[in-house]
Amino acid sequence: MKADITWLDDPEVFRVNQLKAHSDHRYFVEGMEPVQNLNGVWKFCYSPCAGARPVDFYKEDFDCSGFDEIAVPGHIELAGYDKIHYINTLYPWEGHIYRRPAYSLGDRTGRKGMFSEASYNPVGSYIRKFDLDEALRGKRVIISFEGAEQAVYVWLNGQFIGYAEDSFTPSEFDLTSCVRDRGNVLAVEVHKRSTAAFLEDQDFFRFFGIFRDVKLKAKPALHLEDFWARPVLLENGGGCFSLDMTVSLKAGRKGIAAVRLEDAEGKKILERELPLAAAESGEGGTKEKGGWTEAFAALENSRIAEVIPWSHDNPYLYTLSFQLLDEKQNLIETVSYQTGFSRLEIIDRVIYFNGKRLIINGVNRHEWSADTGRCIGHSEMEQDIRCFLKNHINAVRTSHYPNQIEWYGLCDTYGIYVMAETNLESHGSWQKSGGVEPSWNVPGDLPEWKEAVMDRLRTNYETFKNHVSILFWSLGNESYAGDDIEAMNRWIKEKKDGRLVHYEGVVNNRKYNDTISDVESRMYAAPQDIVSYLENDPQKPFLLCEYMHDMGNSMGGMSSYMELLDRYEMYQGGFIWDFIDQAIWAWDEVSGRKVLRYGGDFDDRPSDYEFSGNGILFADRTEKPAMQEVRYQYGLHK
Amino acid sequence: MDCTNRGGSLQLVYGEGSLGVHGAGNGKSFHYIFSYGRGGLESLVTDGMEWIYRTPAPAFWRALTDNDRGNGFHQKSGIWSAADRYIKCLGAAVFVDKEEIAMPVAPENNRYSGGETAGEVSLVYTFETILEKTANVTVEYTVSGDGQILVRVHYKGAEGLPELPVFGLRFLMPTCADGFRYEGLSGETYPDRKQGGIPGVYEVEGMPVTPYLVPQDCGMHVDTRWVEVKRSKVLSNCREPVGSQSLRFSMRDKEFAFSCLPYTSQELENATHQEELPPPRRTVLSIFGAVRGVGGIDSWGSEVEAPYHVDARKDIEYSFLIN
Repeated sequence: MKADITWLDDPEVFRVNQLKAHSDHRYFVEGMEPVQNLNGVWKFCYSPCAGARPVDFYKEDFDCSGFDEIAVPGHIELAGYDKIHYINTLYPWEGHIYRRPAYSLGDRTGRKGMFSEASYNPVGSYIRKFDLDEALRGKRVIISFEGAEQAVYVWLNGQFIGYAEDSFTPSEFDLTSCVRDRGNVLAVEVHKRSTAAFLEDQDFFRFFGIFRDVKLKAKPALHLEDFWARPVLLENGGGCFSLDMTVSLKAGRKGIAAVRLEDAEGKKILERELPLAAAESGEGGTKEKGGWTEAFAALENSRIAEVIPWSHDNPYLYTLSFQLLDEKQNLIETVSYQTGFSRLEIIDRVIYFNGKRLIINGVNRHEWSADTGRCIGHSEMEQDIRCFLKNHINAVRTSHYPNQIEWYGLCDTYGIYVMAETNLESHGSWQKSGGVEPSWNVPGDLPEWKEAVMDRLRTNYETFKNHVSILFWSLGNESYAGDDIEAMNRWIKEKKDGRLVHYEGVVNNRKYNDTISDVESRMYAAPQDIVSYLENDPQKPFLLCEYMHDMGNSMGGMSSYMELLDRYEMYQGGFIWDFIDQAIWAWDEVSGRKVLRYGGDFDDRPSDYEFSGNGILFADRTEKPAMQEVRYQYGLHK
Repeated sequence: MDCTNRGGSLQLVYGEGSLGVHGAGNGKSFHYIFSYGRGGLESLVTDGMEWIYRTPAPAFWRALTDNDRGNGFHQKSGIWSAADRYIKCLGAAVFVDKEEIAMPVAPENNRYSGGETAGEVSLVYTFETILEKTANVTVEYTVSGDGQILVRVHYKGAEGLPELPVFGLRFLMPTCADGFRYEGLSGETYPDRKQGGIPGVYEVEGMPVTPYLVPQDCGMHVDTRWVEVKRSKVLSNCREPVGSQSLRFSMRDKEFAFSCLPYTSQELENATHQEELPPPRRTVLSIFGAVRGVGGIDSWGSEVEAPYHVDARKDIEYSFLIN
C-alpha cells in the first residue's frame, strides 16, 4: 500500500493500518518491559505546505544530511518553525483561507485538495534511525505514537506503514514485517491540518508535531492484547467481578491465563485459571490472522463476599494480575493492573456513587506547561494531583481530549473522579458571531463524518475502559448535536459498562434531548438558570461541565453555586473552568526578563489574546489568590 | 493673642497656604502639613520619615479585571476612570477645637504668632468630580493631641451615576514599602470572594502584584481591622538614616478594604503584560469604603451578582484612623 496525500482531505480516511485500540495495560516479560523508547533528537525538516515537502524522505537511501534536528516529543512551533497561534472558537484559518467541511452544505465532491493542496499547511518530516534493543528482537514489534498532531504518515525502511489522525490517543502500527535488528530508518510525516482539524477546534494553542512519547513494543509469544475488567460493588457490600480478555498467540498453540485479584494487603480474593484454547475461527473462539491468532477468555459475575469500595475518600485499589503461560507451563507474560469496586447509578433522577449522592467538586484541565505546551511529564501530573487534593478538588474533566495514559492511573490511585472526554470539538462549525448557526456543523448528521467521530469515541473508550476513576464518558465538547453524536451515545450505552454518558451540546439542539447524554449538562449557567431548570420538572440530573470562569481575577460568587447543592439533590456540582493558565515562557528583550506570553503575542492573528488564561493556577503552576476560595467552597461538601 | 491659643499639646503653624500641626505622642514626634490648595494632607512625618508623596485623593477606579472588560463594565462605568484621574478640590475648612475658624490665609493669618496650640484640629476638604453629573466627596482630617488622625470620608450619592468599581481614599507614599501587616482575612479577598479567607494577622513582604496575564486590579483585602505599612527608604538626601518605620491605618466603627500596591489603577491598566509595568517606585495604599465584587459566572457578559455592586446613587461613608 502506498501513502496517499489526499487522505488529508477525506473525512472518511482517518486510520490506515492502525492497530485496534486496546486496554492501556503495561506488560512484562521476565520482569522487564519489552519497550524501547524512541524519544530524543530526531532529524527534521519543516515545510510550509505539502507541495513543498521532501516527498521522498522516507526512502532508505534518502540523504537527510540537510535536515535539522528536533527534540521528540515536542511541538514544532515551540522549536521555532511555524508560528505559535492561539484562537478560541474560530477555526485557525479564520480570515486566511475560506473553508467549508467536505460534504457540508450539500457538497458531493468532497472538496478535494483543501488541505493537501493548500499553500499554507505546514509539514514536519521526521527521520529517526534506530537499532532494536535486544529484548525486542525476534518478536512482533509495534510502534506507538501516544500523541501526534494532527495527521501522521509513517514509513519504516522505505515501506509505508500507516496513517493516523486523532491527535490525542495512541496510534499504533505493526512493524514486524519490515523491522530489522539494526539500521532501521523510521520516517514520519506530520501534517498540521487535515479534515481532522474540523473536529479538533479546541480552545487552545494550535500546535502540531509529535508531542507525546514514541515507543517500540515487542509482543511475546503469548500477549494480552486487551482486557475489560468490570468490578462492581453490590448493594450488600459484596463484589461482582467480570472480565473479558483477548490474547494473541501463534496459530495452533494453547496457553493458560492465571488471573488473580488481590486486595491492597496482598490477600487473594479471586483466582482462576482460564484456558486459552485455539478453537476454530468463529465468535468467542480464536481467529486466524497471519500465523497469529487471538484467543478469548472470560469470567462472568464472580462473586466476592465483601469488598472495600473505591472512592475519592478512600481510593482503595485491588490488583488484578494476569500470568500467561504456554503449554509447557512456562511463564511468558505478566500484567498487573490496579482496579477498584464501585457502583454508579441514577435513582429517581439523582446520581449516586457507591450508594451516596455524587457531588462533583471538579475542575477542567488542559495538559499544559508554560515551557513545553501540551507536552508534559510525570512531574506536572503529580503536581496537579497534589494541588487537587490540597484544594478539595475531587473530579477532573479531561478537557477536551484524552490525556496521557499515566494521568488516568494517577486518578485511580488518588481518588479523582474522571470525566473522560473524547477528542472532539467543532465549535467554529456552529457558533458564529456569538450565536448558534449550524449551517455547516460537523459532524452533525453527515454520514461521511460519522465514522471519524465514532473512531475517536471507540479509541478513548477502549484505551481507558479499565480505569475505576472514570465515571463519565464525555462525547466531546461544544460540537452541537446531530445524528452522529447520537450514534456515539448509542455505542457507549450498548457497552453497558455502568458509567454515565455526558454531552453538553444537546442544550443547543433539544431534538436530541432523549437520545444524547444521561445528564443535563450546562456551561456557565447562572445560579438562577439552574434553579429554573430544577424547578420545572427536570428529567435528568444536572451538572455544570464548565462554570466559574477563572480568567484573571475572578472566582466571585462561587457560594451561590455551592448553596444549590444543599437545596437540590439533582444538582450534582460542576467543573471549574479551568485548572491552569495557558501561557508560554518567552524572553523579553526590552525588560531582559523571562515572561509569560499569551494569544496574539506571536504576531498570531486573529487571536483571542488573554482568553488563553483562565486557570486557578498561573501558567507556572503557582496558585492564583482565588484558590483559597476554591479550597473553602469545595471543602463544604467533601 | 490669647484668642488663638486655646491650649493643648498640638503646635499649630498658620502658613500662607497650609496649616502645620506638630507635636509628640506615644514617644514619637509628628509633623503634619495640610495644604489648602492641594486638597489635603501634604506631609505626614513621624520620627523623621515622610509618608506622603502627593496629597491623598478620592479613588473611584480600579484597574479593569478581565471580567469587567468581558461584561462591558468599563463602557457603562468608564466615567469613573476620568473622575478618579481629574478630581477637583473645591476648598477646605479649618476647625480648631471643634470650632470653625476663618480660613487662615493672608491677611487673616497675620493675627497669629507662631506659638498657637490646640487640643484638636480638623480640616475638611470638599471635592467635586469633573463629570457632567457631578458627585461630591468630603474628606475630613481630625488631628488629636497625641497625633492620631481620624479620617472621615463621605461620598454623596447622586442620581444618574453609573455603578462604582470602588470608592476610597488613595495615599501615595514616596518610596516602596518593605511590606505590610494587617488584621483581616488571609489572601486576596473581594466582597464576593471572601468566604475562604481566614481571619488573622498577616504579614506580607513587599507589595506583590498578582501576576495575572494582563495586569488588573489585585491585592484587595476586605474586612480589614488595621493595616500597617512598613518602609525604610526615603527620598531625602540627608545622610542620617531613618531606619525602618511603620504607619498604621485602623478601622473606626467598621472594617475597611485596602490594597497596598506599587502602582495606581492607571499604571496597572496601561500594561498588557506584567513586564510592561514600570519599575516600582512608590507605595499606593488605598483605603476603600466600598468595593465591587469580581464576579465569576463567565468572562464575556455576566454581571457581578447584585449584592456586590456599588450603587453610586447612595452615600458611602466610612472612617479610619492613622497613627
